[in-house]
Amino acid sequence: MQSIDFKKIIKQRGVSSLFFVIILFLLVGLINPDFLQVSNLLLTLNASVVFALLSIGISFVLFTGEIDVSIGAVLGFSAAVSATLIRDGKPWAFAFLVAVFIGVVCGLINGCGLMFFNIPSIIITLGTNSIVRGLVYVYTGGRWVENLPMEYKALSQVTFCGITLFYWIALIIMLAGTFFLHTPAGRNFFAIGDNIDGATLIGIPVKKTKISAFVLSSVFASVAGLMYVSRIGFVTPVAGNGYEMKAIAACVLGGISLSGGVGNLVGAVLGSIIMASVGRILVFMKFSSDYDGTITGLLLIIIVVVDALLQQHTIEKTRRLRLLAKTAQGSAQNSKNSESDKKDGE
Amino acid sequence: MINVSMVKKKIGWELFLIALLLLEVVVFGFANPRFLRPQVLFGSINDFISICVISLFVTMVIITGGMDIQAGSIVGLSSIIVGVMWKQAGMNIWVACVFAVLGGMLCGLLSGFFIAYAKVQPMVVTLGGSFLYSGLAISITRIAKVELYKGISGFPESFIQFSNIRFFGIFPSQILIFIIMILIAFIILHCTKFGRYIYLCGINQNAAEYSGINTRFIIMLTYALSGIGAAIAGIILTSYLGTAKADFGKELTMPIVTAVVLGGTAITGGKGSIVGTALSSLVIGLMRFGLSMAGMKTQYLDIPVGIILIIAVGLRGLNELGLLSRFSLKSLRKNS
Repeated sequence: MQSIDFKKIIKQRGVSSLFFVIILFLLVGLINPDFLQVSNLLLTLNASVVFALLSIGISFVLFTGEIDVSIGAVLGFSAAVSATLIRDGKPWAFAFLVAVFIGVVCGLINGCGLMFFNIPSIIITLGTNSIVRGLVYVYTGGRWVENLPMEYKALSQVTFCGITLFYWIALIIMLAGTFFLHTPAGRNFFAIGDNIDGATLIGIPVKKTKISAFVLSSVFASVAGLMYVSRIGFVTPVAGNGYEMKAIAACVLGGISLSGGVGNLVGAVLGSIIMASVGRILVFMKFSSDYDGTITGLLLIIIVVVDALLQQHTIEKTRRLRLLAKTAQGSAQNSKNSESDKKDGE
Repeated sequence: MINVSMVKKKIGWELFLIALLLLEVVVFGFANPRFLRPQVLFGSINDFISICVISLFVTMVIITGGMDIQAGSIVGLSSIIVGVMWKQAGMNIWVACVFAVLGGMLCGLLSGFFIAYAKVQPMVVTLGGSFLYSGLAISITRIAKVELYKGISGFPESFIQFSNIRFFGIFPSQILIFIIMILIAFIILHCTKFGRYIYLCGINQNAAEYSGINTRFIIMLTYALSGIGAAIAGIILTSYLGTAKADFGKELTMPIVTAVVLGGTAITGGKGSIVGTALSSLVIGLMRFGLSMAGMKTQYLDIPVGIILIIAVGLRGLNELGLLSRFSLKSLRKNS
């Protein structure tokens, strides 16, 4: 019975990453109990808001089996532009709209390049990444955007029940997104990622869905840029550089497969918490945070390899069961196996 | 017939790259006559030799249908290995270089092992690898008690000379290194059985496996080769700059992939050539160099490179679509 429960837990990808977060935090808590103080946990959570939004956005692209490495630059560009607007006294709503507009345009360029010019997603997003990053330099002239009004910076400190307003927004987006992914239109993302030919044949609008995935990813990146401005308080021309890789790593940690069709948004948010807390955990374990990259890389590789091996194991097992079911000799075990299969399914 | 047309198409793309290269020389020559001085023109390779060397070997990885975004971080790791082995461990500098190459190979082998034998997506493993190896480089720097931003310097004269010598006062030795690397990569990919197997793995791994080729081993070896290439680039960079630092090569990932793809390698695998990659890395390098000589700020240089990448690949995508439709029309006519 226990083994069946264990399997179920592994099958639910979001749950397994939740357990991983809990085990990781408990282990750190064993070494340094200060880490498990509520205030510290909340601080860790709130610090991960930018990555949470980036991961939620890029999840949509990853579900369809594509990849988007331009979100770091989009975040930087929207942060630079909106910060300049806010500094110059324009209304915040206007800055927000401009940021969203930037996101939509970048997403459309990525999506249309992919669908209409047949450019692989990694290449088109690589191209937009360097172009948009260059635009940040052109726009800011290579200077920092500073002297933002205190009121806007204070926005990132507004809290309800210990969780910042920004994180509530991220949580609401996560819930809304999860709900959306369970509607027929949302299921299309998974269908395309799982089997694009099959999805085309049963009449799923592949082009529209993929383009909207890229638009969603870029829009969330530019909204994350707004939050970045408020949290950090200034924007450098390299703001958000390399964030795309961290967001992808967060999604992978949260159980989203890069080959598409598997995963959920809860996992993406949990992964972003892991990614953002590694540096903090190291400090609490009295290591230098210089080991950040080493630990992140190790975690990523270990989790992914274990996950791949487990998956192969289950695939092998089902294949063996099927073979047994086909052979006459296996007919005796067959009935037993199919029964246990049904139990598994339930 | 098919073979001839395929060869024509391949040469066509390489001719296009050569034309682009000549066009660059002419345009930048007009913009700034100093660009045409042989010393400046040939000396420019010092700026982008790492991209050239690494992209040659990453081409092989991408031909197998894989992806390698960790090569940039191996550059920093190998650089710091050279420094620490020489200064802290007191080894001969050339022995230290051998250790750096071995280190790069091990990194490649490790990632390649997980990709080939555990069947994890290459992008994910090399993403983890890029965090891990650059993190390791920083950790080694800390353990060796070297200041991160200063790095290790004061290398012996012979080591510095190795990449700063100029033949006939014009050709820097890095051109010779680049040519040797092209020859090695060309022979591996185009003149050996191993090279043919690399293509076959990219075209259809299952078919290759069924015809008795150890595809997993071959895929693992391509990652090891790209690790070696990155380590060599790290050594050249260390020698040229006279400093060993952990953050060398941090920004190289995107230019490398750009060079490989612009060189005509299909990101889905099974197609590509060393000559194409070599030419395209020169095109990208010269463009960056020429634009900065023409007065463009270094930070803006990514824009034209990105635009060229998208246009080149987009045009090729459209072209392939056109060819495909013509091909299907022909086959339809034949059938009827």
